[in-house]
Amino acid sequence: MNSHRKSTPSARFTTYIDFEERPIDVPEETNVDEEKIEPQLLPGEIMIARANNVLKFAPLKANRTGISGTLFVTNFKVSFVTSLPVEAKEREMHSKSLQNRFLGVHDVCLSEVDMVNQFSEDNTKKKRLLYNAQMPPRLSGLQLVLKSLRVINFSFKFTPTGEDIRVAQALLHHAFPTSIDHLFLSCGYPPSSPGIPDFCRAVDWEHELQRTRCPNWRVSKHNEFFNLCASLPTVLVVPRDLLDAQLEQAAQHFQGTRPPVWCWGTPAGAALVRMAQISPSITDNNDNPVARVPVLALQAASGFLVGRTGWQWAERGLHLALEEGKPSRLSVSKSVGSNMKKRKVDEASQQQENRMMGLVHRCHPMRLQPKIFDLDQILPSLKEIQISYIKLRELHTPDDPTQFWEQDRHYFSRLESSRWLSHISKCLEVAQNAATAILHQNSSVILQDATGCDLSAVISSLVQLLLDPHMRTIRGFHCLIQKEWVALGHPFTKRLGHTRNQLEEQSPVWLLFLDCVYQVSLQHHTALEFTSEYLVALWHAAHCSLHSSFMFNSVNAKYSASDVLQRENPQQPIYLRPVWSWWAEDKSIIENEQNGSDEEPLDSKISAREAFLNVHYIQKLFKSLAISGAVRRISDPLSSAYHTWQHIDCLMGETRQLPYDPSTPIVPLQLDGSLRLDISLSNLRPWLGCFCAWLSEPAMLTLNDSESLLKDSSPASHHWSHIHEMYNTMKDLLSQSLANGAAQ
Amino acid sequence: MFSGVKPDKKSKVKGITQLGSRSSSSSSSHSSNSNTTRSNSSSGSGGSSSSSSSNKGGGRKSHSGSSSGSSSGSGSPPAGTPPHTQMASHESLNSESKSSSLNSKLGHESGGSPSPPKSACSSTSTTSTDHHHTNHQVSHVLTATSKMTVRDGSRTLRPDEPPLVPGEQLEGTAREVTYLCPYVGPKKGTLSVTNYRLIFRSPETDPPFELEVPLGVVSRIEKVGGANTSRGENSYGIEIFCKDIRNLRFAHKQNDSQYSMHLKRDMNISVFRRYRVRHNFAGYGASQTSEENHSRRMVTEKLLHYAFPASHKLPFFAFGYCEQYPENGWSVYEPIAELKRQGLPTESWRITRINEQYELCETYPAVWAVPAAASDNDLRNVAAFRSRGRIPVLSWIHPESQATITRCAQPLVGVSGKRSRDDEAYIQHIMDANAQSHKIFIMDARPSVNAVANKAKGGGYESEDAYQNAEVQFLDIHNIHVMRESLRKLQEVCYPHIDNSHWLSNLEATHWLDHIRCVLSGALRIADKVESHKTSVVVHCSDGWDRTAQLTALSMLMLDGYYRTIPGFAVLLEKEWLSFGHKFAQRVGHGDDRHQDADRSPVFLQFVDCVWQILKQFPHAFQFTEDMLITILDHLYSCLFGTFLYNSERERIEKEVKTKTISLWSLILSNKADFENPLYSSNTKHHVLFPRTSMRHLCLWDKYYCRWNPSMRQQEPVHIRYKELLHVKEQLEKHVDELRKELAARQTHDSPRVASAIV
Repeated sequence: MNSHRKSTPSARFTTYIDFEERPIDVPEETNVDEEKIEPQLLPGEIMIARANNVLKFAPLKANRTGISGTLFVTNFKVSFVTSLPVEAKEREMHSKSLQNRFLGVHDVCLSEVDMVNQFSEDNTKKKRLLYNAQMPPRLSGLQLVLKSLRVINFSFKFTPTGEDIRVAQALLHHAFPTSIDHLFLSCGYPPSSPGIPDFCRAVDWEHELQRTRCPNWRVSKHNEFFNLCASLPTVLVVPRDLLDAQLEQAAQHFQGTRPPVWCWGTPAGAALVRMAQISPSITDNNDNPVARVPVLALQAASGFLVGRTGWQWAERGLHLALEEGKPSRLSVSKSVGSNMKKRKVDEASQQQENRMMGLVHRCHPMRLQPKIFDLDQILPSLKEIQISYIKLRELHTPDDPTQFWEQDRHYFSRLESSRWLSHISKCLEVAQNAATAILHQNSSVILQDATGCDLSAVISSLVQLLLDPHMRTIRGFHCLIQKEWVALGHPFTKRLGHTRNQLEEQSPVWLLFLDCVYQVSLQHHTALEFTSEYLVALWHAAHCSLHSSFMFNSVNAKYSASDVLQRENPQQPIYLRPVWSWWAEDKSIIENEQNGSDEEPLDSKISAREAFLNVHYIQKLFKSLAISGAVRRISDPLSSAYHTWQHIDCLMGETRQLPYDPSTPIVPLQLDGSLRLDISLSNLRPWLGCFCAWLSEPAMLTLNDSESLLKDSSPASHHWSHIHEMYNTMKDLLSQSLANGAAQ
Repeated sequence: MFSGVKPDKKSKVKGITQLGSRSSSSSSSHSSNSNTTRSNSSSGSGGSSSSSSSNKGGGRKSHSGSSSGSSSGSGSPPAGTPPHTQMASHESLNSESKSSSLNSKLGHESGGSPSPPKSACSSTSTTSTDHHHTNHQVSHVLTATSKMTVRDGSRTLRPDEPPLVPGEQLEGTAREVTYLCPYVGPKKGTLSVTNYRLIFRSPETDPPFELEVPLGVVSRIEKVGGANTSRGENSYGIEIFCKDIRNLRFAHKQNDSQYSMHLKRDMNISVFRRYRVRHNFAGYGASQTSEENHSRRMVTEKLLHYAFPASHKLPFFAFGYCEQYPENGWSVYEPIAELKRQGLPTESWRITRINEQYELCETYPAVWAVPAAASDNDLRNVAAFRSRGRIPVLSWIHPESQATITRCAQPLVGVSGKRSRDDEAYIQHIMDANAQSHKIFIMDARPSVNAVANKAKGGGYESEDAYQNAEVQFLDIHNIHVMRESLRKLQEVCYPHIDNSHWLSNLEATHWLDHIRCVLSGALRIADKVESHKTSVVVHCSDGWDRTAQLTALSMLMLDGYYRTIPGFAVLLEKEWLSFGHKFAQRVGHGDDRHQDADRSPVFLQFVDCVWQILKQFPHAFQFTEDMLITILDHLYSCLFGTFLYNSERERIEKEVKTKTISLWSLILSNKADFENPLYSSNTKHHVLFPRTSMRHLCLWDKYYCRWNPSMRQQEPVHIRYKELLHVKEQLEKHVDELRKELAARQTHDSPRVASAIV
């Protein structure tokens, strides 16, 4: 709870705004009603600045059509309060967001703000305002560019002087905090549990080992106090033969002292391992990216584009060496490889890396060689991804209709030159190759990238999505993200730019991954239990500070932020809510908290649910029930029909909040139905649902909102009506047979 | 044993064809699987020999069983069979596949069965689906390439006896010809030519590989390799350039040396080298008494003959085609009836037969709807001022506001800026007929530069000074030559191979989608003026038969839900395109060998593409699916039906097209079920569609342009999935009903006992 901030008007806020000290030089609004307008505040949320008579402009509408209201900046959000009706588009997007519990239709979470631009007096030029920008005496307007690729323009034309500056200053300061714990991270009430393991406890990893039945790996608790590695959770899965002491020793030689960790495996013994690069020796810290260019060229020339798959492993005598416990042989062959890389690393680190690879090798029950994918060399760099993203952002955040149509004329070539789709294609290709290696060659795969927590997370998650049907369900997908991204420490704070520091380390790896999943969903309609709209919601959710899942650099960072908040406010419990609790949340709690918001009846939630559930997946489930005899066996708990029905009931049942039953044990991994992707660029599609989510086409004409105009309806609406009918039929039957059974 | 399977097999063929088009795979799987296929196929067709109705249930049942088996329990698939292939096959097995291409459609019609087409079509892919499944896995590699119909091995057709459509005659057959498929490599087989199409069949694979192409799609035929003496297996032959975005190459084996030729004379001399033979070895060819040689030569001659009947003073095949259809498509459009449907005549609009003899305007229809205020004499005077006498005539009238869309040709303004009082008054009449607005828009489809340039040729556009209350807007749509060039570039990008690394920029460079966007947004603008502003719009371009037809037809499609039904769409095409004289014969070049004719242009294709774009954005608003659009486009070229032949209503009357040929709508209306969109909700009929027209919301219609390319992964249409859902639902309800009855039976069985116990 952040109410401490309210109770002790913390220096943090007052120092720069001088809210109290500065005499208000503008006469108070004569309109009494204006003063009554207040934003809805969460417990612990405090209002920092307000500006009256602000005009908000819907994106790409002519400036005339702005709506008037009051703009507030709190320590959590930018809130625009108006009595005017909400646009259909905004309402729809709001209902399909995972933060609609704590943000109103006109609200924007501060951490979602990507750029703040200032308009010149005549609205012709804009200038970016940085967090430390010098304020002009008067602002004519502000443009917010959000990380969800949305643009909102505010005009202060009718705003009393001074209020505009105060709002802008508050916004700039709070939207770009110096430290993650300055964000509004906890809103005072405990989140409902979605029953998703957080992979911070040993038992979750043990379950994962059991589920995958991958032999020869064990859970180590050696990182209990993050003493071993700050970016890993307290527990990690390591080769069974590796002693904790050895683990500690090995970790020192990897970047971020991050030892290789197991993240998934198959019953046949193929393991998926993520590994950081070995840290460059201290004497050679100036190892810069430039030095890698000839290496890449060299590798490309010699055909090693697939990664270093096994070439450094001397074919002969390797088994022998391992059996006899002679890692020296390995190190020799490995050092050949590192010469190729032209990267000076000290001997000891090299040895440790080889040793770890040897251990992975030995973990395999058939002693098959692991394949190593050096992602830094075969995938675009984080920098390139960021550059791509910036181009995408430019393309999808036009200032006015003219710019929109100008960009639109060359949309395809601009999209291509952003190289975003080609990055996607690369990722899918590598994931596909890794999946093939695991599935068909039964070899372990080591994914290696600089820090072991960026591109390796993308590839590792994709491999699992392709191979493991469980990961394609909502529950499994949550587990996957929790495991690969949250627990294994993808640095969200850095990559998504939640703080003003380390802006140069921004890179939307997370979006890249979601887009890859989107392509999977496009190519395999029935494979995923969730829709692409859910993926969009996840991308947007990553910028809301109340979703702790995507806020921190690591589990450790989350704990320390939580500690800081707790120390500042010892009386109140701090709850950091995982994003998944959206599904489990009981609406009544929020409504009580928010003094019963009038809008948003239950059906909006149901429609969001429908938007997030893939109707074709449910259709597939029903299809398996339509086999003759299946319905008959439906009440037999041993039959598959029973489980299918339970699953359908969880997805469709209105009484249930969660689309799965957290109490049912997860079935062991079955390696059937792996997905194959078409990675050619002509078969990838730009993710308009995400990039153009907020970008409605500017009306060229004065198209009216006449009754006769056919509104876009979801193509799946017809499907849903039949699915509901089928569900009700089945339910009737079951209740009938139950009654019958009782009668007997 | 297999004789009873005939009707079903056709449907199977269709199913396979469509499945194959969606998925690709390495060809390595087919040889290893062929045995299982065979056994499966024979058992499958054996099972299906009873009756098609009983098959329906059985086939579907077994399908759902098999699919769940393989989707959950089939274990890891072997390397050669990508899982998505299997998946794709499951997904659409049950769906009643629609014939989405000409070839499959024709293959289906030409199944050689005497059964009426209706039953043949309604028995779509509901036959033994196990059969499909296995067959598909083997054959999809082949079918994917060119939508060939594939027949399984159970039926032995002699290669020189292809099944023919009624009225079709076999004209020649050549053996030992190689079809150079750009995707799966060369296939050796037999090439036959009929008066309607060419048929290539290769027995090399099991099931045999088959390719059928109506000769109407042939744009030009070129001899390849005859001039130089390059060696190689397939260096001699012909290349056939088609109007439907593909090229076909046939070749024959060249002898290693000319001297060894006689040794293999029975085998290897091809008619395709006849020029060479004549020039270089005069006399040598004469010594070849081989039947093969003769037949090959004949085949090429026949091919040239029947591909270009117009150039050879031959009738189109449509005049010989004598299939019987239960529906008569010629009666789908009655001009008076359609005008009455729109509410005409009203007090301000009348119907006139002034052009009954096509004297006032030979490219216009006989019946017009014109402002009631204009006398026949006025019409004549206006005709004198409009290019080719194409005066403003009503296309559509808004049922409520009475705002209208009228179409015409450009006014003959010329450099001197001529005026016509009658024309000005006439436009005023059109405006006055709509009481809601005191303004009228004149939409000139051309870019303003072109409109100005036309003044030099005596044309031009209305000046706002002369036409009171009129506002002229230019819609920036380019002329037929620009469109033709754009399509040529598009074909280069799409066929045969796609350059993945530059796919998007190459696509953009064709400007095809850019032109589509222009046409769409022009039509949108017209629809907006009529719907939102209640203002009448006059549309013209230069002659008023290309861009004007696109614009009026599209805006009518947006405004009036009737045109989004199957018969309504037929009416729309008959009215706006055929009766108002879009020059189909010129633009398509039916049966004409002048492939470089500058009058050819894909104007109609572009219109259909626009329709597809709208259909894609509003999947519930159309009664038909894209399959119907593809079928229409295929028959635009095929010359099987009389519908698209000739340039104007007048010419069609002269040639007695209605009595001597069959209408395309006969096929479509007789097989309506194949084209119906299950997602269609009829309450959209009263709605207006305003599609989004930004580039990012337009897509390349890959199911049409890239359909020959197996590597282009087509998105499975959502309506197929919907059909599957309906089927699943039906099955499930059947099971539930059974169980209910059982429960009820048990209850009534139990209740007396209970009752007696109480008593």
